[in-house]
Amino acid sequence: MNTPDLSGDALAPLWPFLLLSVGGLLLVLIDTIAGRKRTLPWTWIAAPIPLLALLAQIARWSSGLGPNVFGPQFVEDSFGAFIGIVVTVATLFSVLLSETYLRKVGRLRGEYYSLLLFSASGMLLFASSTELLTLFLGLELLSIPLYVLSGFLRKDERSLEAGLKYFLLGAFSSAVFLFGGALVYGATGTTDLAAALSLAPSDPLLQVGYVLLLSGFLFKAATVPFHMWAPDVYEGAPTAVTAFMATAVKAAAFGALARVLFLAAPVNALLPAPEFLWWIAVLTMTVGNLAALTQSNVKRMMAYSSIAHAGYMLIGLVAFTASGDREALSAVLYYLLAYTLMNIGAFGVVILWGERGEERLEISDYAGLGWRTPGLALAMSVFMISLAGLPPTAGFLGKYVLFQNAIEHGFVSLVVIAVLNSALSVYYYLRVLVALYMRPAERELVLERSTVVAGVVTVCALGLIWIGSAPDSILPGVPAFMGWVKESLFTLR
Amino acid sequence: MRVEYLWLIPFFPLLGAILNGAMALSRAHRPEGPSRALSAWIACLMPAASFVVAVIGFLALRDLTPEARFLTQELYSWIEVGSLRIPLGFLLDPLSAAMLLFVTGIGFLIHVYSVGYMSHDRGFARYFAYLNLFMFSMITLVLGDNLVLLFVGWEGVGLCSYLLIGFWHEDPAKAAAGMKAFVMNRIGDFGFLLGMFVLYWAFVQQGHGTLIFREMQAQAHLIGPGVATAAALLFFLGATGKSAQIPLYTWLPDAMAGPTPVSALIHAATMVTSGIYLAVRMNWLFALSPDALTVVACVGAATALVAATIGLTQFDIKKVLAYSTVSQLGFMFLGVGVGAPAAGLFHVVTHAFFKALMFLGAGSVIHALSGEQDIRKMGGLAKKIPITTRTFLVGWLAICGIFPFAGFFSKDEILYRTFIAENAAYPWLPKLLWGVAFLAAGLTALYMTRLVALTFFGKSRVDEHAAHHLHESPRSMTTPLILLALGSALIGFIGTPAVMGLGGNRFEAWLAPVLETAGAHGGDAHAVDTHAGDSHAGDSHAGVEHADHAALEWTLMAASLGWSLLAMLLGWNLYLKRPEVPVRVAQSLGGLYRLVRDKYRVDELYDAIAVRPTVAFSRRVLFSVVDVRIVDMLVNAVGMVSKLGSYALRFFQTGYVQAYAFVILLGVAAMVYQLSR
Amino acid sequence: MDSAALLSLIVFLPTIAALGFLAVPRDREGFFRTATLVVTGVVFLLSLGLLSGVRADGGFHASVKLPWIPGLGIDYSLGVDGISLFLVLLTTFLTPLVILASTKSIHERVKEFHILMLVLQTGMLGTFLALDLFLFYIFWEVMLIPMYLLIGVWGGKRRIYAAVKFVLYTIVGSLLMLVAIVCLYFDHHAQTGVFTFDLLQLYGTIIDPSRQLWYFAAFALAFAIKVPLFPLHTWLPDAHVEAPTAGSVILAGVLLKMGTYGFLRLALPLFPEAAHTFQPLLLTLAVIGVLYGALVAMVQTDIKKLVAYSSVSHLAYCMLGLFSFGLPGFSGSLYQMISHGLSTGALFLLVGVVYERRHTREISEYGGLAQTMPWFSFVFIFVTLSSIGLPGLNGFVGEFLVLLGIFEANRLAGVLASFGVVLGAVYMLWLAKRFLFGPVTNEANRRIPDLTRREVAVLAPILVLIVVMGVRPQPFLKMMEPSLQRTLSRVAPSSRPSGELPPGRSAPGRSAPGAPAPGQPAPGSPPSRESGGEGDMGLFEPSSIDSLRGASL
Repeated sequence: MNTPDLSGDALAPLWPFLLLSVGGLLLVLIDTIAGRKRTLPWTWIAAPIPLLALLAQIARWSSGLGPNVFGPQFVEDSFGAFIGIVVTVATLFSVLLSETYLRKVGRLRGEYYSLLLFSASGMLLFASSTELLTLFLGLELLSIPLYVLSGFLRKDERSLEAGLKYFLLGAFSSAVFLFGGALVYGATGTTDLAAALSLAPSDPLLQVGYVLLLSGFLFKAATVPFHMWAPDVYEGAPTAVTAFMATAVKAAAFGALARVLFLAAPVNALLPAPEFLWWIAVLTMTVGNLAALTQSNVKRMMAYSSIAHAGYMLIGLVAFTASGDREALSAVLYYLLAYTLMNIGAFGVVILWGERGEERLEISDYAGLGWRTPGLALAMSVFMISLAGLPPTAGFLGKYVLFQNAIEHGFVSLVVIAVLNSALSVYYYLRVLVALYMRPAERELVLERSTVVAGVVTVCALGLIWIGSAPDSILPGVPAFMGWVKESLFTLR
Repeated sequence: MRVEYLWLIPFFPLLGAILNGAMALSRAHRPEGPSRALSAWIACLMPAASFVVAVIGFLALRDLTPEARFLTQELYSWIEVGSLRIPLGFLLDPLSAAMLLFVTGIGFLIHVYSVGYMSHDRGFARYFAYLNLFMFSMITLVLGDNLVLLFVGWEGVGLCSYLLIGFWHEDPAKAAAGMKAFVMNRIGDFGFLLGMFVLYWAFVQQGHGTLIFREMQAQAHLIGPGVATAAALLFFLGATGKSAQIPLYTWLPDAMAGPTPVSALIHAATMVTSGIYLAVRMNWLFALSPDALTVVACVGAATALVAATIGLTQFDIKKVLAYSTVSQLGFMFLGVGVGAPAAGLFHVVTHAFFKALMFLGAGSVIHALSGEQDIRKMGGLAKKIPITTRTFLVGWLAICGIFPFAGFFSKDEILYRTFIAENAAYPWLPKLLWGVAFLAAGLTALYMTRLVALTFFGKSRVDEHAAHHLHESPRSMTTPLILLALGSALIGFIGTPAVMGLGGNRFEAWLAPVLETAGAHGGDAHAVDTHAGDSHAGDSHAGVEHADHAALEWTLMAASLGWSLLAMLLGWNLYLKRPEVPVRVAQSLGGLYRLVRDKYRVDELYDAIAVRPTVAFSRRVLFSVVDVRIVDMLVNAVGMVSKLGSYALRFFQTGYVQAYAFVILLGVAAMVYQLSR
Repeated sequence: MDSAALLSLIVFLPTIAALGFLAVPRDREGFFRTATLVVTGVVFLLSLGLLSGVRADGGFHASVKLPWIPGLGIDYSLGVDGISLFLVLLTTFLTPLVILASTKSIHERVKEFHILMLVLQTGMLGTFLALDLFLFYIFWEVMLIPMYLLIGVWGGKRRIYAAVKFVLYTIVGSLLMLVAIVCLYFDHHAQTGVFTFDLLQLYGTIIDPSRQLWYFAAFALAFAIKVPLFPLHTWLPDAHVEAPTAGSVILAGVLLKMGTYGFLRLALPLFPEAAHTFQPLLLTLAVIGVLYGALVAMVQTDIKKLVAYSSVSHLAYCMLGLFSFGLPGFSGSLYQMISHGLSTGALFLLVGVVYERRHTREISEYGGLAQTMPWFSFVFIFVTLSSIGLPGLNGFVGEFLVLLGIFEANRLAGVLASFGVVLGAVYMLWLAKRFLFGPVTNEANRRIPDLTRREVAVLAPILVLIVVMGVRPQPFLKMMEPSLQRTLSRVAPSSRPSGELPPGRSAPGRSAPGAPAPGQPAPGSPPSRESGGEGDMGLFEPSSIDSLRGASL
């Protein structure tokens, strides 16, 4: 293996990763120096790091295909860059959401932020590596901090339980993943997936290994039947963390999944891989939507909805695997972006509506809020409408593009199922609106203003409508975005 | 020939309606309402003006040669879609002119009469608004130059009758009667509409769809017998609704709930006869279908008889007149049915006079007795209200068909035509029909005599309260009575039988240009034949028959005259000299009598077989079961099922890590298994 | 101002205003009422501008087309022709009246109410004007949420149930339609290599019958739910009963027409063969709808429910007209859409009037109103007469043409449907009798005040139109006819001799707006007669569907 020269511009691909991880370490340092006595303005300390990372990502994305110095360990392509953008955006927003939340639950600690950043750095690695060990490294790097974060509220049993569950099951799936990796290696003698998967596609050992790897990704992406941890963890984990998990992790997982599916083309040709995914997609969205239908707890409802959305995104992967058409993948990317915005936004509102000591997570708690806090309620409505996939939001356009690609490659039946599913989903998303606007308020609400969170929420809401319907006029609108998303697929290794 | 003034005829009443309506509405919240004098003047002047214009039109027509007697005016194209063209056009030809004259004329008189009759009513202006609106609709009906426009008037008069029957809407019974009238008319209109559709469709088949009378008439030969029968019968269904024939006659007696002048104008003189007008107007069509004519004739005769029998047993003065109207309408349809439309229409005209007269007379009686309508509580009024009585007697003589009063000529014409009619399918039928009609004529004389006797003669049975301020009606009411009485006495002379040598049947001759086509396409032979027999246009053929016809006609005339006199004499004796006899007869008949008295319980029948079942079915089955239980349930069921699915899934979400891990394992296993296949 | 700008302005002015409203404090209710009234009024005046320059060839006399998402072949493309024109006018005409009518009934959340009304108007107008299937779909769904909130927030007791039912019903249908739209989009691409949602180009697509059936089914489902066609109607009574007056009026007046409009503009011309295959089914349902709606309406005890079911019956007439595939039927159907919008809109306004005063919709609660509320009663009777199709008022023209048309196309359907005329009279007059006539049984009705000036101002314009459209329908029909003729030429089998390509389809992707559609049938010679003929009395026989199959294969 040739030693890469580590001169400045060659490091460019690594910058975001380095920024996040080093930044994380830095925070630990600051925290320890500051000590427990006084709480620092963590938002302002932590936020710049993902922001810089984001800028670096964008730079990397726009520079497109640089020299692939790290080979499979850290693939240099704009696809990974785009995933990176989504991840860093999610991280940035999560950071911005966190302080308000942590204050409310009285757990504002520095390590929280460093853990967040570590996990994020792991995601970048996870999404950009095609080398088994690095991939596993990324997987663990993103997971372990999340286990801690899920259980971050020591006093809260549900949080602890969530942490534990997530840890156990995560470990379990990591094991499966590792086993798969081992098999692949055993079959081919290389840890470079690209090489391995094209070396002996017909080798059953490799195929089994491949399938096990997939299940690892699917676990992180919380798709049926590897989804069952999600509701419990999402519900128990600190809301800000839930937001982070629901968005950043999904992005990373789908990125990695897509990447592997892409590399595995030769294997897929031999396997009924599209059929797997077809079934998983159908199961995932149906289970997600059906279960969400009767949830009374917002976070749990959002958990199931995130499962359902994973199902929609799988449609794109189905089309992609079956056809190898990158357009289909671009649909997934666009949807990831939209999905991130609507989830972060929604959780932001949830955080703002929470009270000190009492989080108000039952949908019924939102009764009448539409008239108490019209602005937030309006934003929430936008997120719900977008999640339900109604125009003129990115949620609609994203779904539409997914469906369009699927139909283009002849998966009409799959789309019909998806369509019926989203019809079903309308019901529970609108339940939130029902509570907000149609039910009389039951109790007083002491609302703590937080310009930061409000800002995030606003950005998300406007962003959704903007990339969902704006034409290309003075500012780049939908067409531009679509274009960029496609561009980011010109290079995919 | 095009003229520019026809639109005025309907316009004046419309204007009146709008003005009166506006006044009524604007003052709706003031107890005193708008100025009665003003609305009365408006209301009466408008039909008068229409009458004048109508007369002008009539004179204009008369100056033309018979073939050219068609004055038209088209205001604009009302509905025009593709080849379908329905102009808003008027047609003044001998037929519509004849109708128009008595409609506007009698209408005017009744308006004048109403001024007095309604003088104490709160809804004075509203009443006249409706009445004028009726005049407008009726004129449109008569003057329209195409079926659809006729239908406009047709529905319009129906609406006005609805509004006027339910004029005193505080009384639910009256409101109900109005609704009943409208709905039954609608059933007829259903036929009318379909008739139009059939015709239009048939003409479209032949390349040129139209609903304009003269165009249709011109290409009548394109219509096949099957279509002709269908269309004719459908139109006749419409006619039975409007003109209260079996089976749709039961609304008319209830319609007496309206103010009496309304009964006179709408439910005796004009509206109810529009069915006959339609039949005559569409004569060319009926002529194409002997079967349809047979049906018309039979229904007419049957109605004439049935209604007459009921009329014999009623005690409400207006009800008696109502049934007599139904019966007379039956005669008219009989005329149409035996291929003598002119005769039928002639009876329409004469009947308009004497029946309006009698209704107004009845109104005057009721007015005098401050609202009493039961003839058992009358009697001996002759001295108290002389003018009313005398005029009423004229009407009585007219309807009984006593020479030389109007009824004599028209009814005789119909009977004679029925007698000599020929029916290819059922040769015996005309004679039978004649028999029925003859009997009905006798009954008519009988129940009318009964009415007159019980009302005006004998000793008074009036209760003292009413007797206390018993008075002759005001001039505004009596004058119309007198004029109508004159009409009833003399109008018959426009249609004297040729054999009398009194100038022959001018009326039929006048209508000839319109009815020409009746025979033209050889629809039914006898129509031509009988037609030739009397139209003294001096056509030569069938000259031989002429003599026997004459002899026959004389005999029949004598017979029916004698028959009527007999019946009148009988009635006079029964109800004046020996009042106990009818009672005994009634008792001896028992059930049958009660059945007749209860109008053969037809209303009850309809209620049982049509109305209640429909409502019950709609409520119990369609709504409660189909809509709520089935359709809506299915919808909600979808929701329920998904909810159940949701709960099922939650059931698996146990919260046990082991379980989750197990599921993951299953998943992996399944995938591996999948690929090993 | 050029037509393009005019169209966009008409559609988006309300939303722009709504956005502006967001900035205004909520307590300034007066401002919202007047401002909304002014805005919608202006929109109405602007829309009158569309009356000018209707094209004799039935093309779009005003249109705007800009690229929106070129990558996906999606344009921002609006256009108005004789068909959409009057539906647009109906919308712009009713909205201000509704706003004016709501000044009393809506006294809380005034700001939100008016914002939603404005957004709703944009949605409705967009749906009628969109010429790009994608855009059409967007507007179609956009108008959903405001209506949902209108019912759910300002509605009656079971408002939430009704609102959710309304949305879910619609969504299911429309999402399936979306799938069909996308399939069509790819079919068109497969043929022409062009990715486009441009309706006029898609008209040119030739789709093999079997696929057509599916597409048509999807479209038909979406539209039939909106119409609503039996048995998909059960959302309507709930929605109507629970919705506030404004909601009911808009719902009945405009939203239902989107279903029939969808058939006329999209389903029929896009999939003619399938349309003919489905004709028997849809005719059957429509006939059932006419009679069923009437019969069920007859036995309702709640006025709003009664009117709601009457709408089921009336809209079924429109469907009959459309599926007669003849010019009279088409014209009648479109005309009926407009008059139904007016008369039923007015009816709901009237119900609202008494509801504001007595807060009950039970017919039995009323009676004898004719004595205490003469003006109200006059208007009510007037509107009733229009709704039962009294000749001389607007209702008759549409009904007559529809029945005439359907009778030509199919005797049996014609006869059955015509009987609806009788039933219509029964339930409306029975309502009038129980509602207005008879003695004043309920003391509360004795002191009930008559129409106020404002209410008169709301109702008067409608009454005027009712009369005008009844007495002088020709100008309207004349403007509608060419466009209908054009649509007909795409639907009619007569214009599609088997063997050669159907008209407007010979050159796919090139039938620009205004291009004369070749091979139009002789006016008023309806296609259905081609096979219909003398003896065709069979139950809803489709017109020569086999020859059609031949044509398209």
